Amino acid sequence: MSELFDQFVVEAQELLETAGGALLALERDPADRASVDELFRAFHTLKGASGLFDMAPFTRLVHAGEDTLSLLRDGRRGMTPELADRLFRALDQCARWVAALEDTGALPADAAQAAETLVGGLSGVSAEGTAGGGEAAGEADAFPWVTALAGEDREAVGAVAGVLTAIDYTPDPECFFTGDDPLALFRRVPDLRLLRIEPAEPLPPLAQMDPYRCMLRFRALSGAGVEAVTPAFRSVPDQVRIGSVMLAPAAAPPSANPIAMAPPGSLAAAMLEEQARILDLPGSAAERQSRSAAVARAVAAILTALGRPIDRAVVTAVCADAGTLRRFLADGPPENGPPEKPAAAEARPAPPRRALRVEPERMDALMALVGELSVVKGQLGPLVRRVGDGQLTRDMKAFSSRLDALVGDLRHAALRLRLLPLARVFDPLPRLVRDTARRLDKTVELVLEGAETEADKDILDVLGEPLLHLVRNALDHGIEVPERRAASGKPPGGTLLVRAFQDKGGVVVEVSDDGAGIDPAAMRKAAVAKGLLAPDAAAALDDDEAVRLVFAPGFSTAGSVSDLSGRGVGMDAVRAAVERAGGRVEIASTPGSGTRVRLSLPLTLSITRVVVVEAAGSLYGIPVAVVGGVQRVPRAEIRGVKRAESVVLRDRVVPLVRLRRLLGQSDDVGRRGNGGGADCVVLVELGDGPVAVAVDDVGERADVVLRPMTGVLRGLRGYAGTAVLGDGRLILVLDLRELL
Amino acid sequence: MPIRYDADLARFEAACTVEDALPLAEWLEATVAPRVDLSACTDLHTALLQLLLAARPAMTAGPEDAFLARYVGSALRLQ
Repeated sequence: MSELFDQFVVEAQELLETAGGALLALERDPADRASVDELFRAFHTLKGASGLFDMAPFTRLVHAGEDTLSLLRDGRRGMTPELADRLFRALDQCARWVAALEDTGALPADAAQAAETLVGGLSGVSAEGTAGGGEAAGEADAFPWVTALAGEDREAVGAVAGVLTAIDYTPDPECFFTGDDPLALFRRVPDLRLLRIEPAEPLPPLAQMDPYRCMLRFRALSGAGVEAVTPAFRSVPDQVRIGSVMLAPAAAPPSANPIAMAPPGSLAAAMLEEQARILDLPGSAAERQSRSAAVARAVAAILTALGRPIDRAVVTAVCADAGTLRRFLADGPPENGPPEKPAAAEARPAPPRRALRVEPERMDALMALVGELSVVKGQLGPLVRRVGDGQLTRDMKAFSSRLDALVGDLRHAALRLRLLPLARVFDPLPRLVRDTARRLDKTVELVLEGAETEADKDILDVLGEPLLHLVRNALDHGIEVPERRAASGKPPGGTLLVRAFQDKGGVVVEVSDDGAGIDPAAMRKAAVAKGLLAPDAAAALDDDEAVRLVFAPGFSTAGSVSDLSGRGVGMDAVRAAVERAGGRVEIASTPGSGTRVRLSLPLTLSITRVVVVEAAGSLYGIPVAVVGGVQRVPRAEIRGVKRAESVVLRDRVVPLVRLRRLLGQSDDVGRRGNGGGADCVVLVELGDGPVAVAVDDVGERADVVLRPMTGVLRGLRGYAGTAVLGDGRLILVLDLRELL
Repeated sequence: MPIRYDADLARFEAACTVEDALPLAEWLEATVAPRVDLSACTDLHTALLQLLLAARPAMTAGPEDAFLARYVGSALRLQ
């Protein structure tokens, strides 16, 4: 039982996810049959599966969802954003319940009430509809002919036993004179399943018949709800009775044998018979196939619950058609049944690929070892060079390069173990965009590209929150309301493009919108108004720098602060999170045509590429991710205003800081012979603009395993951690954002 | 005229309304072995339906209209 329950939880999560995706697709294109079907199947399967456990509110809610979807599927109800909202709420509730089931094994205490509210919302809010549903059982007596329906008619109804709406219409004999055409009214009944036209009294011989007197009586069944059927008879409320009836499964379906696998009359027996009926339903080959798979799952689950687990392959085989399933259920599992054997063998699916679950700690340990190995391997090269010439050296060099290749491959393989597709962080976006756009009354199309791009799991974890924030921000501040877009000659619907791709050893995610863009002039003004910049400093900023002010702490670009994008802490937080992970944020905006924010992140957090620099005799590492370039600058080109220095690099005036000074080392520049009148400058691109960092010397670039500061050094700010270089020397890796 | 009478065959065409009830009743009564062709009928008024149910003429062709075919054609063939 417990295994079955676990299986339910996992399946339910998958189904809810599928349903969410299908619902999004369906809202975008209400004519998308495949999505309706998928959504319906998800709800249907959830209903069946949840029925095996004691969770009535869950079953009730998904049942209501299924009913709603069957209306949608038959075109008796149209897809509206409101209906999508309600279905989303139902899915959200189910997801919360599944989470609770996983944690505690039971639904929360308020589940019944929550289900009631959501079911009310789904059934079209009308009190009438709710009342009709509630009275379903009681009203069955009011339509005795329904229970007396013969097998053939039942078949015509095609109902997988359930709630139907019965119509009993005895027109006023004089109705033809008032222009009524009783038969025509039934053309307007949605999902009419059965219409029986009978004389209300024995018809007289033709000669004595008054052709203008109505002598017929109409009885009908509809699959639609009471509230959907009632409008058709609005003109004749006194002549019609409409009510919900529960059509019980036929007492003895023509082809059914008693079910031996389950106690006769039990719920399980009814459910098993139901599965056979599902197989009987008409449909395309694909529909039938997916149905038979669902049926096989349900049958297997029911049998397991009954304590009669059957080999899955056998179940799959017998679920190929209704006749086989009924025979199987009636006769029990084939003891030595040769006819079933070949079928079972044929249908046995290939063993599913099973994902191997590994504790994250073990992965980390492996990564650390691989990291150490590449560092140790790095020490071999210098050693070999020291050996000098000769056969031995040549052999050692060959050996060393083979080792290099192998360690490279090993590192690559180990890294790949941790790689996951970005789809993981893209998944929540469609729903977020949909909900947000609706709340803001904007029309936005989300385009996702490169979801298959892979990145380290740690990077994905870092990426998730900032990405959500950027998307929210683009919807809130970027894309304009349709009227404003139309006024500026754009299509009323905005487009939000989220694109991921691999780029020189890292992964890049871009969020671009075709919205209003950021006005640099407004940014300067706002920065001054908020006291972030002095007026002259603001005026000195070029447009790109002004736009980059969005990343400054305490900045909000919108005229009014909305509940969506927070209060200006967001973009700063995005930058901080990305830079903490050794990444970089860039923004480009064209007023009137849109904004693009680009997050560049390293492929992995486990190995960091650093530029080794020297200052006051010690080695430091600067993460390559923030380094924009390295060059020598003649000392004459460094302009000093008091102690503040600046230099023109790539046509930009860049503030210059000296690493010695930053680290509190002696700043005796003059005594340094190195460089001969020039300084080594590392151009560092931080979120709020470039900074030139003057160092004594710049060394190699190296891949290092970054070890965070621990113990008493933990509180030390300005350092990302320590690392060992290939030759065994220890370096401190700088966190320049903290340091500057 | 939505119903065309051709000796013993009545052809129902397009929407046949309550106006046709009296002529149809008379024709059904007067014809020895009446036959009806509903294939072109798109709408059949209840008054006509009940005359057909009472007289039960032979049906040479059932209605092609989906609604009539499903719910009326069968009612006329049965009983």
